[in-house]
Amino acid sequence: MSTFRGEMAVQPRLIYKGAEAEIYLEDWFGQPAIRKHRVSKAYRITELDEAIRRTRTSHEANMMHEVRKLGVPVPTIHHIDLESSTLIMDYVEGPTLKEELYGISTQAKRDRCRMLGTLLGKMHEGGIVHGDMTISNVLSEHGKLFMIDFGLGDFSSETEDKGVDLLLLNRAMKSTHYGFHTLLFNAFMKGYSSIVGRKAGKEILRKMREIEQRGRYFERG
Amino acid sequence: MHCLGIESTAHTFGVSVVTDKGVILSDARDVYASAPGTGIHPREAAEHHSEVAARVVCQALAEAGIRVSKLAGVAIALGPGLGPCLRVGATVARALSSYLRIPLIPVNHAIGHIEIGALTTGASDPLVVLVSGGHTAIAAFSGGRWRIFGETEDITLGNLFDMFAREIDLPSPAGPEIEKLTEKSSGFISLPYVVKGNDVSYSGLLTASLAELRSGARLEDVCYSMQEVSCSMLAEAVERSLAYTGKKEVLLTGGVAANKALKSKLREVARLHDAASYVVEDRYSGDNGAQIAWTGILALRVGLVTTIDQARVRPKWRLEDVDIPWRDGGAT
Repeated sequence: MSTFRGEMAVQPRLIYKGAEAEIYLEDWFGQPAIRKHRVSKAYRITELDEAIRRTRTSHEANMMHEVRKLGVPVPTIHHIDLESSTLIMDYVEGPTLKEELYGISTQAKRDRCRMLGTLLGKMHEGGIVHGDMTISNVLSEHGKLFMIDFGLGDFSSETEDKGVDLLLLNRAMKSTHYGFHTLLFNAFMKGYSSIVGRKAGKEILRKMREIEQRGRYFERG
Repeated sequence: MHCLGIESTAHTFGVSVVTDKGVILSDARDVYASAPGTGIHPREAAEHHSEVAARVVCQALAEAGIRVSKLAGVAIALGPGLGPCLRVGATVARALSSYLRIPLIPVNHAIGHIEIGALTTGASDPLVVLVSGGHTAIAAFSGGRWRIFGETEDITLGNLFDMFAREIDLPSPAGPEIEKLTEKSSGFISLPYVVKGNDVSYSGLLTASLAELRSGARLEDVCYSMQEVSCSMLAEAVERSLAYTGKKEVLLTGGVAANKALKSKLREVARLHDAASYVVEDRYSGDNGAQIAWTGILALRVGLVTTIDQARVRPKWRLEDVDIPWRDGGAT
């Protein structure tokens, strides 16, 4: 698509309203771009609300930069505005992996999940955890996967934190693709273990089950 | 059709009679009180339950004004909960079922919290926020079971309040006392806010709150800040789950549902996502026999009963392991 300088690539519009942020598609010097704005929440007191939004915005930009260095596709960041808790980044059209998995063949389902496994494997090997690892936070553009939403991401090499990523992903698969979730998660683990190694993969999986048990029922008193 | 329900999973020994129309005819309880600065002692709580059991059963029947021959079944909370406490209720329920020759109905305590919430508020397909001493979980119904969308990764919200209270010699459950103290706060102290996806983690918050107290911060300010941070964390996790599931109702249930700050935060979350907000009535938020009796009615309608030799207590019985044949919808 060719655009002249000064010509708007797109009309600005709200394309997604998430729990934390509003996502606008808008023009960025002649190219379509995403503006992610973390909105203020009335259920938090002002001191807490401002600190959370500011920290997460700068943190997310930082995380995306670090993840890119590990060879994991993420949208490129163009601009950061901490005062308004806003990030401007490349527009990746999608759909989300969650949506895409409903309409593709079993083999394609496996391929996508295995690819996701290699991407998360690279992140974990590089000492970064996602913190909100669901199939809604993965965009698929012509079969290429992009990781998004790094506001809860962190630098960590702890088995515990890696286990949480796997737990959240497994739960997301179970809750939206029930019946297929084992196939999806096994394919994911195949890709994941190919990067982190079979032994480490097993250990992190064991930790995932342990965390799952822990939260379910905590003895009172 | 009438069902008698027995609750004895933790500090409360409760017995209630409920009709198949959902009318709660009686709600008798006797609560074990732990000494200030200590938590529930499982054996002492069980001793309390066995002492009051006969009286509470008789009281529930007398208040309901029905003869035992009218009972269609005895529902018992077999778990999750404290083993010694569960065994007292289970023994009473097995004896009644055997003597009266009526069905014994196994009930999961957490499902009881959800169903009494749905009964008393009219919520039909909600995102459930279950908060108590034993649970901090966000669940939605899908494919015949309640699925967990978010939960605590370590201690529960009720535990956070109770463990904090124990350090300052307040009796547990301590939520109401802590809530009173927050009203006299004069300022907010920054404390760790930990949300991971739809999950929360409270253990770091507990440690930091106690550390603030020891380094001289005012008790009222620590209580206020701890309550603000912990309830905001849960509200955010609920908001994420709500956005994810697209549910149009939020139902807050369980003992901590009586907390005013939590109620108002969740009402705001529901409003932001055009969802209706329901909160279980205060009197049915804490553990009670009615939640077990009503769930017993629902189970009895679909023929879900057990035999005496199968009715073992299940201290770690998980909410998402229970098949719910009486609820429709929830297709995956």
